[in-house]
Amino acid sequence: MSSGNGSSEAPAIQAIDVVKLFDGVVPALDLLNLTVVHGEFVALMGPSGCGKSTLLHLLAALDMPTSGTIIVNGRDLRTHGNERYRRRDIGLVFQLHNLLPHLNALENVQIPMLGTGMGRAERLRQAQGLLAEMGLSGKEKMTPPRLSGGERQRLAIARSLANNPPILLADEPTGSLDSASVERVLELFRRIREERGVTILLATHDTHVASIADRIVYMRDGRIVESPRPEVSGAC
Amino acid sequence: MSFLGLIPRNVLTRKVRSSLTGFAVAIAIMMVVAMGVLTHSLRQTAISVLQTGKADFTIAQKGTSDVLYSSLDESQVNRIAAYPQIDHIVGVLVAAVALDSQHPFFLELGIPPDQLANFGVQIVAGRPYTADATDEIMLGYRASSDLNKTVADMITIDTDTYRIVGIFSIGQVFGDEASMLPLTQLQTTERKPGEVTLIFVTVKPGTNIPALRSQIEQDNPGLATVQTVSDFGRVDRNLSLISAANEGVSVLALFMGAVGVMNTMLMSVFERTREFGILRAVGWSRTRLVAMVMGEALLIALAGAVVGTGLGYAAIKVIQQLPQVLGFFHPEYTAAVFGRALGVAVGMAFLGVLYPAIRAALLEPLEALRHE
Repeated sequence: MSSGNGSSEAPAIQAIDVVKLFDGVVPALDLLNLTVVHGEFVALMGPSGCGKSTLLHLLAALDMPTSGTIIVNGRDLRTHGNERYRRRDIGLVFQLHNLLPHLNALENVQIPMLGTGMGRAERLRQAQGLLAEMGLSGKEKMTPPRLSGGERQRLAIARSLANNPPILLADEPTGSLDSASVERVLELFRRIREERGVTILLATHDTHVASIADRIVYMRDGRIVESPRPEVSGAC
Repeated sequence: MSFLGLIPRNVLTRKVRSSLTGFAVAIAIMMVVAMGVLTHSLRQTAISVLQTGKADFTIAQKGTSDVLYSSLDESQVNRIAAYPQIDHIVGVLVAAVALDSQHPFFLELGIPPDQLANFGVQIVAGRPYTADATDEIMLGYRASSDLNKTVADMITIDTDTYRIVGIFSIGQVFGDEASMLPLTQLQTTERKPGEVTLIFVTVKPGTNIPALRSQIEQDNPGLATVQTVSDFGRVDRNLSLISAANEGVSVLALFMGAVGVMNTMLMSVFERTREFGILRAVGWSRTRLVAMVMGEALLIALAGAVVGTGLGYAAIKVIQQLPQVLGFFHPEYTAAVFGRALGVAVGMAFLGVLYPAIRAALLEPLEALRHE
């Protein structure tokens, strides 16, 4: 394992002998082991169906492993993997944005902040700041259907950072974007990592996207194969 | 944006469906309000007959379908008067007649003139009728104004023509809209010799009224005493039936509205499965999700209640114009009626949203996110 810019050696994410069976028999993850240190930017690569998304779902506590242990920031998700964890400890970015189409950009960013005890003015200030950071100033009142694909994804990233989580989990965040938008989103991930020191685990098919990470982790058949060279391709 | 602000936003996102559900709730609430006002007002009108005058309580025939059908023999009046606790009693014959299309329910009260003071009658113009007069009548001041008749004018009731000799006030709307004439004359025209409808009882100071009522009813099994509105069903079964129908309508309206709310919220929960998955994925708790769904249902129901109350008010105005109820239906809009409507609306929301909310709460975020 290597640590990149701004990372410390303390593990942010530990997956130990994680097994996930679908329908009780089909293995999606097979005794998977992975450690990501604080502040590290890790790209997860592998062919479709290799288990990248399944791993991210388990790390996001959206699903539970069949066996094995997942520890995030020193806490076992079997006991701490609840909505509070999803609200405070991680940010989630999906390939298809998963924004609420009837709410405008400013409101979409504020959704995760509801119920955190943050005051209305503070929520508004935080949301406006994030939109500005994502280059979406002036688009606050626009609803997702009126934004371009790249803008939607940047909005989704803004939402994922709403509660200043220490970890960002991104599942194919550039999968549906044109090349210009991809570059802009990648630049954002770089900045988020550098300026906020956020630990990032990003699943992608794209070697170019993976190349911005500190480390690329290859997956195949629910297991991990590490590679030190992001430019190596062909696995996906 | 706040959590509470999100609720109307979500409701307004589906304007047509929310409006239709709100309208269904409004129809149900309209029924609750209209029936509530109608029942309450009819009850008040009927009880007004019993509370005319200054009596401590009233006696009528037990178990009649309508209080005006109560029939008591004048000998019973004398028997009641013999109780030592009683200061005085007034036996009154009540008859309802149709004067014309504008006054289909006009009351005639037959009272001996020497009992007028005991009954609380004040002569405001003219003089009282004499005991054996066959062509003298007094009008309540409201009736006088309404009919545009005054002392010395003539009035024809059915085929009988009377000279108005006095205008009275009894301090009670129902009585002041009526007429009074000698008891014997009304007994003659109504072909009810020796008969009265009600006995108004005034007791001596310090009398235990409940004990006296109980004693009278024990001694006279065919009589019922009435002191409060809740006693009324014992002498007017029609009104008891209307009250029961009112209760039934409220319950039916509750379930009708609840089914409408449930249908809408269930469809909403199904359609918004992915949205709920997103909310759960970004950290919303099941409780918050359920609160949002319940809030939406409550908002629709309350909006329906407001519209329904307005419709109920309009329905009462229409009913008030019906010739069948002119003269005896005076709508009273009480807090209890509106409270019941609000309670039914809230009940509809909670009953209707219960199952959809449970479904929303049980959604697994990952499954919900995969929902197309």
